[in-house]
Amino acid sequence: MTKFDRPAGSPRSSLLMPTRRSLLAGGAVLAGSAVLSAPYVSRAYAAETLKFWQFYAPGGEVKPQVDWFTAMVDSWNAQNETKVELVYVPNSEYMSGSKLSTAFASGQGPDIFVISPGDFLRYYNGGVLLDLTPFITPEAQADFPEGVIASRKVDGKIYGVPMELEPMAFYYSKKAFEDAKLGESDIPKTWDELLEVAKKLTTGDRYGVLFETGPGYYQNFTWYPFMWQGGGEFQGADGKSAFNSPGVVQALKLWQDAINSGAAPRQLLGGGGGDIAANLGSGYCAMQNVGIWGISAMDNNAKDVPYGIFKLPVPAGGKYVTVGGGWAFVANAKGANTEMSGKFVAWALASMDKDSIQREVDWCTVAKSDMPTRTSALKLGGDAFQKGNLGIFSRDILPGTRGEPRLPPEVYKIISDAIQQTQLGGADPQATAAAASQQLDAFLATYKGAPML
Amino acid sequence: MSVDTSSMTVTAVRNRPRRRSYDAQTREWIAAYLFILPDTLGLLVFVGLPMLFALIIGVFDVNGFGSFAFVGLANYRRMAADPLFWHCLRVTAIYVVLLVPSLYVTGLGLALLVQRTNRFNAVMRSMFFAPQMVSLVVIAVIWQFLSADKIGLFARIFSFFGIGGVSLLGNPSLALITTVFVTVWFLMGFYMMIFLGGLQDIPRQYYEAATIDGASPRQQFWHITMPLLRPTSFFVLLVSLVAAVAGSQAFDLIYVMTRGGPANATSVMITYIYQQAFQYSAFGYAAAMSSILVVVLMLLTGVLFFMTRGGRFDYE
Repeated sequence: MTKFDRPAGSPRSSLLMPTRRSLLAGGAVLAGSAVLSAPYVSRAYAAETLKFWQFYAPGGEVKPQVDWFTAMVDSWNAQNETKVELVYVPNSEYMSGSKLSTAFASGQGPDIFVISPGDFLRYYNGGVLLDLTPFITPEAQADFPEGVIASRKVDGKIYGVPMELEPMAFYYSKKAFEDAKLGESDIPKTWDELLEVAKKLTTGDRYGVLFETGPGYYQNFTWYPFMWQGGGEFQGADGKSAFNSPGVVQALKLWQDAINSGAAPRQLLGGGGGDIAANLGSGYCAMQNVGIWGISAMDNNAKDVPYGIFKLPVPAGGKYVTVGGGWAFVANAKGANTEMSGKFVAWALASMDKDSIQREVDWCTVAKSDMPTRTSALKLGGDAFQKGNLGIFSRDILPGTRGEPRLPPEVYKIISDAIQQTQLGGADPQATAAAASQQLDAFLATYKGAPML
Repeated sequence: MSVDTSSMTVTAVRNRPRRRSYDAQTREWIAAYLFILPDTLGLLVFVGLPMLFALIIGVFDVNGFGSFAFVGLANYRRMAADPLFWHCLRVTAIYVVLLVPSLYVTGLGLALLVQRTNRFNAVMRSMFFAPQMVSLVVIAVIWQFLSADKIGLFARIFSFFGIGGVSLLGNPSLALITTVFVTVWFLMGFYMMIFLGGLQDIPRQYYEAATIDGASPRQQFWHITMPLLRPTSFFVLLVSLVAAVAGSQAFDLIYVMTRGGPANATSVMITYIYQQAFQYSAFGYAAAMSSILVVVLMLLTGVLFFMTRGGRFDYE
């Protein structure tokens, strides 16, 4: 008999010869301690590593954008003990998926993330946007033109640092114009001309003009300038709805007429109206309403398609306006290390250091094709913003750009439904605007969040 | 004084009252309950508790960022006054009325076509079932491309027959029907397999006897196949009804193909609930609508159970 053999009936040592019960108890203790200690371990890790959610890197498909984000984070990590980790969320999931919402709902929101003006109020009113003003020097604050940063400010405090300014314009296929025997002098300057030229460009397998048709923030964003051009607004100076106005009605009617004339498609290809390569690049349409990012998209994905750019046509008696969107870096006010999150955002995009300004120039000229959000970046970029297609945006399109409005989801939904009902549902624009205006008034009377802009 | 502890322990062990033994039936009951315990716990934790939680947050204003404010029945009052809620309920009703019978007829029809066992039918069964192997998102993207305006396959077919300007997913009057069509195409193979199982349970002798008695194939179908398929039919109707109302299959397809558009034409309840919760951060309102959807679902399944006396059938 060895020393480990137990004589019949003798008591067992729980250490040497564990019983089933002691094994279970031990296992439970181990599992319990693992579960109980996990939050502390993860919190400690979270405090040391800031999660940066966005839809560019490291899993994005556009290499210059992946490189830009990676270089930025590598540079920060080389200089700081608190590291930043890029978390890639696919674009469709980021914009209209549930990942970000469920993360915040469960208290697991990212430390740093990007938002568009369309989503600003949802997050600001939810109390999760960190005030970045203390991290940005007054000199750097002044470097952002008021028109660019206004939609990210509340009561004079900065809650988001814009990384780009993306005005909307029209792109056209030079070949389609040639095929229809149209020249540069035929480029439309008014809405009437736009519809007329669109009809001439429409063939059996090509549409003349393309507007966004999918419901959502993006469609609203692309429709706003048409509303503004005729003097339309969603809210008047008295705080009440101004949606039931001639400017709004004629903008709704323009998009409806484009569809009814057969010159514009109801259904779009690829990623929709913002995807220029899948639509204009593939020959599905001859003119497309897209933002400045279309330059790099065409240059990267439809290199062989010659194209031109022109500013939005205006209605009779109207005034030229376009809308400028763009994403901004924001920090989570309920994050594990808000101090470092705020410092990172300021260091990346809102510092007067040359690296920070150059980063903005690189984003707008190398990684993407955008207009800079900082006066110093526009100066540093020099010729890059004055030549070629970016030059067209700088000279012709940017003057007259109005920032993308920030609206709460309820308002955005009412406007979205009005656009959809008239554009694709065939509803009467006047009656639709009147009904939407009543809904807006009902909501505005009870709204208590930050001011809409 | 020394004490022999080892012999005391042995005696104590021997004198320990024996565990009460249960009779065979009780042991069988205990074993049965132990077997279903993990499933029951899973259902309670992952279905029961979330349902209860959804019911509770339906009376709160929940913004999705940690703020909870008790609002009583405000979410339900908002629902009653929300035209879009009623619109979505109506779209859901149309969707259910179109989808459930279509799935029943196509599933049964395909099962009848391929019920005989031979190589050709084996290949056909696999082909009909194949869509189930593919992600719904991929299927939605493919159908989106096939139904594109002007250059899509269907647009070209329509154009060949002189019908131009048809937009299957961009026209509000066609979008819901197109969505139902794609859903049926995707699911019919699954229901075909269920019906095949039901058909194979019907003894062949009944058909042989009916043939000897001079019954036509049509008479055999109506007087043998259909009555004996009642349990399978009940199951198919129940599952497809729940799937259609709750939108378990519809959501992915609709969300990728139309995002509830055009002009809310394909906005079924589940897409509206999703939109309110995850895009507008109105979790309380979304939960209240979910509760109503559950009530509707319970009423419908209750009617189905009532009509079949709890799923019991005459011949059982």
